[in-house]
Amino acid sequence: MSQPPIVEMNNVFLKSDRNTQLFKNLNFRLNAGRSAVITGPAGSGKSSLVELLIGSRRPESGVIELFGEKFGGLGGMRLNGFRRKIGGVGGLFELIPNYTVAENIAFPLILTGARRKSRKESLLKMLSEFSLIKQAGVYPRRLTRVERTLVQFARATIANQPLMIIDEPSAGLDSGTYVRIHEFLVKASYSGRSMIILTSEQNAEILPNSDNYQIKSGELV
Amino acid sequence: MTKLIFMFKELLRNLYRNPGTAFVSILSLTLLFLLFELFWIAAETSDRFYSDLLSNFQMHVYVSETFPDKEIDSLTEKIISVAGVSEVSYVSRESARIELAGIVGTDLLVGYDDINPLPRSFVIAFDKMYLHSSSIADIESTIIKLKGISKIDYSRQWLEKAETTRKIILNIGMILGGLTLFTTVVSSANNIRLMTRTRAHGFWQMRLLGAGRIFIALPFIMEGFLIGFLSAALSWLVITYGQSKISFTQFELVLPTLKEMGLFCLAAGGLGIMSGLLGLRKLLK
Repeated sequence: MSQPPIVEMNNVFLKSDRNTQLFKNLNFRLNAGRSAVITGPAGSGKSSLVELLIGSRRPESGVIELFGEKFGGLGGMRLNGFRRKIGGVGGLFELIPNYTVAENIAFPLILTGARRKSRKESLLKMLSEFSLIKQAGVYPRRLTRVERTLVQFARATIANQPLMIIDEPSAGLDSGTYVRIHEFLVKASYSGRSMIILTSEQNAEILPNSDNYQIKSGELV
Repeated sequence: MTKLIFMFKELLRNLYRNPGTAFVSILSLTLLFLLFELFWIAAETSDRFYSDLLSNFQMHVYVSETFPDKEIDSLTEKIISVAGVSEVSYVSRESARIELAGIVGTDLLVGYDDINPLPRSFVIAFDKMYLHSSSIADIESTIIKLKGISKIDYSRQWLEKAETTRKIILNIGMILGGLTLFTTVVSSANNIRLMTRTRAHGFWQMRLLGAGRIFIALPFIMEGFLIGFLSAALSWLVITYGQSKISFTQFELVLPTLKEMGLFCLAAGGLGIMSGLLGLRKLLK
């Protein structure tokens, strides 16, 4: 039996806060193990797309399905369950200010109820993978922008979240870190993890197993 | 279990990171509870004092001069059958003279050996549950109607005054209690609201990661309980310490039982929970 798509959006309409039509009949499908790189200029609706995917905003009409289940208009525990399957980086996804780096990274595992031992193991793995061991006990306000982004990547990965949403992956990164992040994304893509990467860069690098989209006139093409 | 441990850690973290706020909360609540408890003790003590006085309350019923001695027994029976009367003792003229001599001395009674103008009487005691002015007045009106009774004496005004005083203490206690509890809830709720307001951004991030509202709110609700409980326990400690150091000769302070104190602490914790829910109203919506 084939796996249901990770994300499916059909005939989605959404108005912006200024009441202009942001999405008109938007259709999008992301199959398991595939990634999507969505480009669009500032104000094209990339962040609104993220808001729709995490359920913090509802479309005027249309159907959104995540992991094979209808998503739009969900509330309470089911919405929380969906959100736990998504790892977010950049844009809306920031760090929890009064938690240390280690606590921020391990937070998704707390929500899934992982035991202390496995939590510790996963945390150490993430800290070393993203070179954050020295910063483990540091609070976000003392981190550089690059470090903050790395912590977000670690947090979005630690619980093996099946979907990762990355809003502007290269924002504020130096070239060295960008190369590392790109390597990480390539590795994640090869491992069969689904990702949605939103960027304003027209020449965004292509990832393996990925499809490129552009937001044009409220549609994904 | 992981989540529960995390929530407890969050609770401790809140207290550790905001020791000043927690200390001020506990201190202000302790003072409020102290005030409440002082009135509780005042009410209990005055109640005991009043009950002790009432237990000696008696009514003197005088027999008319013309009433024959041989019918005294049947009159006694009639009086004891009145609802609320627990004990009747008859005081003959001779007993009255002996009693009077005991009070004023025998010298004043010289020349009254053959004449005894003192009336015969009954001394009546009452059941505990009839010891209030309206019941006593009912008993009085029943007894005065009996054939052979000429007059009834008892401390009517004292009884009414004691009852009014008791009622005033009780009312003040209730008003003060209500105000204290209201202030407790509002003050705790405000503290929690201020604490959570500074963390609103963090809560939003937690929500985006899939944390439920209850998961975020529970540590604060537990904190409300803990602060309420500790404040109440501390106030009782102060009270019991004070009581052990102060002694009154006229009366003894009546403190609630340990069980009552424990229940009060739990109730204070309950108020803390209520404060937590009020303080997190917006977050929980």
